[in-house]
Amino acid sequence: MAFLEIDGLKKRFGNVEILKGIDVELEKGGFLVLVGPSGCGKSTLLNTIAGLEQITEGEIRVEGRAINDLHPSKRDIAMVFQSYALYPNMTVAGNIAFGMEMRGVPAAERQKAIDKVAKILQIGHLLKRKPSQLSGGQRQRVAMGRALVRDPKLFLFDEPLSNLDAKLRVDMRIEIKRLHATTGTTIVYVTHDQIEAMTLATKIAVMRDGEVQQFGTPAEIYNNPTNIFVADFMGSPAMNLVPATIGGNGSGLSVVLKPDARAAISLPLANAPAGLSAFKEKPVIFGVRPEALTDPEGAERNASNIATADCHIEVIEPAGSDTFAVTNLGGKAVVARLRADAKIQPGTVTPLAFNLTKAVFFDPATEKRIL
Amino acid sequence: MSTVAETQIKLTPEHDARPGASVRSRLQDLLPKIVLAPSFAATIIFVYGFILWTIYLSFTNSKTFPSYAITGGRAYQRLWRWTFESDPPSSWYTSITNMGIFGFLYIAICLALGLFLAILLDQKIRGEGVLRPIYLYPMALSFIVTGVAWKWFLDPGLGLEQTLHQWGWTSFHFDWIKNKDFVIYTVVIAGVWQASGFVMAMFLAGLRGIDGEIMKAAQIDGASTFQLYRRIVIPLLRPVFLSAFIVLAHLAIKSYDLVVALTSGGPGGSAWLPSNFMYEFTFKRNEMAVGSASAVIMLMTITAIIVPYLYSELREKSR
Amino acid sequence: MSAVSSPAPQASSGARARTINRIVIYGLLALFAIFYLMPLFVMLVTSFKTMDEIQNGNMLSLPHAPTFAPWIKAWSEVCSGLTCVGMKGYFWNSIKMVVPAVLISTLLGALNGYVLTKWRFRGHILVFAMMLFACFIPFQSVLLPMATILGSLGRFGVTLQNATGFNFGLGNSTVNLVFVHVVYGLGFTTLFFRNYYEAFPTELVKAAQVDGASFFQIFRRIMLPNSLPIIVVTVIYQFTNIWNDFLFASAYAGSGDVMPMTVALNNVVNTSTGVVEYNVNMAAAMIAALPTLIVYVVAGRYFVRGLMAGAVKG
Repeated sequence: MAFLEIDGLKKRFGNVEILKGIDVELEKGGFLVLVGPSGCGKSTLLNTIAGLEQITEGEIRVEGRAINDLHPSKRDIAMVFQSYALYPNMTVAGNIAFGMEMRGVPAAERQKAIDKVAKILQIGHLLKRKPSQLSGGQRQRVAMGRALVRDPKLFLFDEPLSNLDAKLRVDMRIEIKRLHATTGTTIVYVTHDQIEAMTLATKIAVMRDGEVQQFGTPAEIYNNPTNIFVADFMGSPAMNLVPATIGGNGSGLSVVLKPDARAAISLPLANAPAGLSAFKEKPVIFGVRPEALTDPEGAERNASNIATADCHIEVIEPAGSDTFAVTNLGGKAVVARLRADAKIQPGTVTPLAFNLTKAVFFDPATEKRIL
Repeated sequence: MSTVAETQIKLTPEHDARPGASVRSRLQDLLPKIVLAPSFAATIIFVYGFILWTIYLSFTNSKTFPSYAITGGRAYQRLWRWTFESDPPSSWYTSITNMGIFGFLYIAICLALGLFLAILLDQKIRGEGVLRPIYLYPMALSFIVTGVAWKWFLDPGLGLEQTLHQWGWTSFHFDWIKNKDFVIYTVVIAGVWQASGFVMAMFLAGLRGIDGEIMKAAQIDGASTFQLYRRIVIPLLRPVFLSAFIVLAHLAIKSYDLVVALTSGGPGGSAWLPSNFMYEFTFKRNEMAVGSASAVIMLMTITAIIVPYLYSELREKSR
Repeated sequence: MSAVSSPAPQASSGARARTINRIVIYGLLALFAIFYLMPLFVMLVTSFKTMDEIQNGNMLSLPHAPTFAPWIKAWSEVCSGLTCVGMKGYFWNSIKMVVPAVLISTLLGALNGYVLTKWRFRGHILVFAMMLFACFIPFQSVLLPMATILGSLGRFGVTLQNATGFNFGLGNSTVNLVFVHVVYGLGFTTLFFRNYYEAFPTELVKAAQVDGASFFQIFRRIMLPNSLPIIVVTVIYQFTNIWNDFLFASAYAGSGDVMPMTVALNNVVNTSTGVVEYNVNMAAAMIAALPTLIVYVVAGRYFVRGLMAGAVKG
């Protein structure tokens, strides 16, 4: 039995189905990230776990006990909101203690709990201030403090970092990860930022249009996306998804790419997925991540299936740590990730190495992965 | 598995057993509606119910006391007949023509003066903080006080005329407040005095809300100050015009106190507005059905103006 | 930049044009300031003059020998119709009516706004629209039925009085006016609070729910402490409107010693027995105007915001 189980959850507003049957589960101490574009239903799903919104069908269980009819305050959860939702009329201490006050915890005990949390988050010097006197990062800490002090079974985070500037966001991300590691609490976390999802999660649910597209560990999601949407959404820069056809000469298969105004490129596939043979002479979507498309010297040495092809380089983007080269295949811009010091010029034709062990194929009709 | 858990929960009250919780949580769910209900019920009864009641009364022959036998649209027929009785004018004819004159001039002058003052005040004026409250304070006064003050100020024997005579301009003549053909214009003057400062404040807020970069862009494009206002600023103030119009229109139709206090109805009721007509016919002349019919006509007029406005406003908001 | 490059004579003629421009603007603004201040000024100086000075002097001149006698007479002796007891009783009538009416309508408006924004239900827009429309109706269209109802309640009150020795406020004109002003002020107060709470972060309400606060606890601990600006606006708006009301007051408390200030003032001014004492009339008008003027002077900013909230999108 998993710690948190969501079973066939549906949510309708009038005739509009916002969540279309969600099945997700999370082990105790796990970190589940719900990720997806805006409007995919991830925040609604979090709100239903919190009890802030009612569900139409299905069940939410924590430790085997259904909680979907309980009032939010009875679910033993704590929530950190996107805007932090600190009560502007109360001090930091008042904010942290409000939940305990509502539950009738005596003042002395509240003070003890406040002090403990303040120590963990290093906000002791802020306790007497009002939220308006705090910086963004400090507010974020106080919001986490308010959640921590409840010592809940389940932590819910609703895009908690999206209001911070880039640098602070990275700092707070590490902070949250550390907090998770030290306290061992179970967390459900909503974000639209796939880097946050990859770095924080033990499990990711990629959502679109009220459905979970793929549910798995970050590595599974990244390396084995089940469909074009997941492949495209996760990873930065995004996976190259190139229209291609499958060619075959006897036993071996190859993938045929059409560069603009140049001869077609045929890359032999050494270990093609079994399902691909059905697509011989048919169009597919060929997916290759930028880091699997490099200059030949930079290619992964122990990869079993590397093919090299000449590509016309249109644009070079030096990014400091890497250099990105943009070429055109099958009518789409394709990004290759090269070493920072790669000698490459825009406008030239340069050989690029395709690491085909990491390549994935999708059926253009169903958008599903070909396995 | 889950059924076992549920049975356990039902037995332990501190876990908020489900049946009890659902009664309590249903009450919690209903609480917002219970809180809103008295206000909504009051609105339904005392606004909409009473409007229907008034409409009903307008189809009876109620005189001093309400009578509840429907006798048809006789009250409306009389109003319709009076609408064209201009010589000598019926009091209804006077009321609605006055409404036309007062409504048009009051709204037009308030808008023009309000916009003009707002533009003047927007020229980076030193002492704006002093001037603004001076223009605006009349809105805080009761129409009765306004009426008393202007009645005195416009009185030929005591006010402006007398003062100018004392200063040597003996030919100056200003007796509109005693003249049945002009008394309605004194209501316009006092009304404009009271409300134009408020319209100014609305326009000023609108002017301050205009994006400064648009103004800069227009200046770089070579627009003169006049062109800037005519081509850029005033078109951008369209929503303020609409809001101000709505406020002024409903103030105009509701105007009652000002006529009473300033003119006591004017010579022979020559300053009446429909609101005065309604009050006089209902409470003084014992023509309740006619009074009700006139109230219904006032309501219809306002409805025609307000409902489209509210509809567009609320639809915009809910989007 | 342009000042540097343009030749000197041109610059000075531009400066002169600008000076003339400024003089015209300030002149116009001053002229209008006089227009707005004049009636108040005349009222004020007249209230400190003797009748002698009024009849023989200039309306605009300052009083030669300022006297408080008209104010004292207006407060405690002036005749309204045939009763000559001054304005003070009517002043208190107005206070007794205004204070409860403002408090009740503001509280209800706050609760309504809270429900209509944070506890939405199907049809909340329709409910709000119906309450909002009530702000705009000419009160003539409800005047008669309300008079009928208040009349029957009054008769019922007499019955109760006879039966129980207590009339529960039925038939009391102050209670009647409080009721009327609460009912017909609800639309405005609800509008103010709804627009304010519309922009109030819903996440705060959610956070409080997670913290275990109930419907009323959230209202009292989270919403109300953060509503001061709109409470001020609503209280000022309602105070001004109810204090200044004449129509309801004259219809439901139009005579006798139950009249509110506005009706009494109108009666005083139109009392035709004996010599018309303009100085006393003006003092009476000033007394009627003072409470709202003071509110305006103290909190004018909020007053304007309140007036505009009814029209400009919140």
